[in-house]
Amino acid sequence: MKTTERQTMYDLTSVLEFDALSEVRPGSSILISGPAMSGKERLAYDILADGLDKGDGAVVVTTGDGAGSVVEEFRSLVPDLDDSQLGVIDCRGEGGTDEEAIGNAHAHHVSSPGDLTGIGIGITKALEGLHNAGNEQGRLALVSLSTMLTYTDKKTVFKFCHVLSSRLDSAGYIGVFTIDSGAHDDQTLQVIKQAFDGMIDVRDAEGGGREARVLGLAGEPTDWQDI
Amino acid sequence: MSDSDLPVVLIVEDEPDVAETYKLWLQQEYEVRMAQNGDEGLEQLDADVDVVLLDRMMPGLSGDEVLERIRERDLGCRVAMVTAVEPDFDILEMGFDAYLSKPIRSEQLHETVDNLLDRSEYDSLLQEYYALVEKQATLEATKSSAELAESDQYDELTQRVVEMRDDLSETLGGIEDDSDFIATLRGLSDDEDN
Repeated sequence: MKTTERQTMYDLTSVLEFDALSEVRPGSSILISGPAMSGKERLAYDILADGLDKGDGAVVVTTGDGAGSVVEEFRSLVPDLDDSQLGVIDCRGEGGTDEEAIGNAHAHHVSSPGDLTGIGIGITKALEGLHNAGNEQGRLALVSLSTMLTYTDKKTVFKFCHVLSSRLDSAGYIGVFTIDSGAHDDQTLQVIKQAFDGMIDVRDAEGGGREARVLGLAGEPTDWQDI
Repeated sequence: MSDSDLPVVLIVEDEPDVAETYKLWLQQEYEVRMAQNGDEGLEQLDADVDVVLLDRMMPGLSGDEVLERIRERDLGCRVAMVTAVEPDFDILEMGFDAYLSKPIRSEQLHETVDNLLDRSEYDSLLQEYYALVEKQATLEATKSSAELAESDQYDELTQRVVEMRDDLSETLGGIEDDSDFIATLRGLSDDEDN
């Protein structure tokens, strides 16, 4: 990956305490993988909320929640949220726009999770909106790749991830993308992984609670740690 | 393939002087075809054409209509719209890959055509990269780690994946701006329909 001009690293350790996450290079794309109900989406949102706290912009590409409820969610995660720091691309292709809930956030509706061009246009508009609101850096979450994979084949999703990563790279953003590891065969997971710079694996711990490990961002894969 | 090995540019422009000027600028580096209106443009269009320069305001079929027919025919060519006014954002949603606003300078025209050709190269590299990654993933999903460690084929594949990834990063210049980004994504959806 090419390095961008601005070299401020992203520190994700207040969300997940791994040394490997203390200096994430701008332009990095990270896959968050784990079984259903293991808190992947929560983790992705926490990474964005942490960024908002630190003055980063946030862009959410959602296939499951409506734009209005995503904005509400971030208002509760970040009490003094400035709406203009948040962009949401709602790919459900249903429902009207909940203007009141969306407020000043940059919301864009796309007809389906398979409409990659529409998603790209939404992301472009969100990045532009955040840039105009004064954001020089930010974090993007795509929730979830598993839903996209039900609309489009893995080849297209792989390429989409690669192209989006390059766009994030030139914007100096980082991206986190969730995938349900139980919903796809091994080969599909292996292919999708290759489109990313690194991966955060989450799973339920044996004694209850959850644990995670980090692969591919800095040095060797980490051990599993409680989160 | 066309007669020459040069990339093929099709100019669809109703003003002969303007069209001739573009041709003069481009003919050293590209094989140039000319059409005076939309219908003629569609006739001249075939799989050899790499880039179409399409004037938006023409008598008869408009540039927008020609674009729509080009996309329907599913040819892999890139289309740059030539317009008299600076377009707003909708240009991307309309399906053009780039735009040029008149008056156009020679270097600007070259830059746009080169950029569109680079993007095609990025697409085919990405396609090749995917094929390697898929092969690698199939081996990983079907063989044990001991078998993989022994396999020369896997070793070689892994190396090529790394090389290819570097090649792709170098070609990334092609998708730095918004219209490149959207056009590349549009290309992915088109591939899928084939």
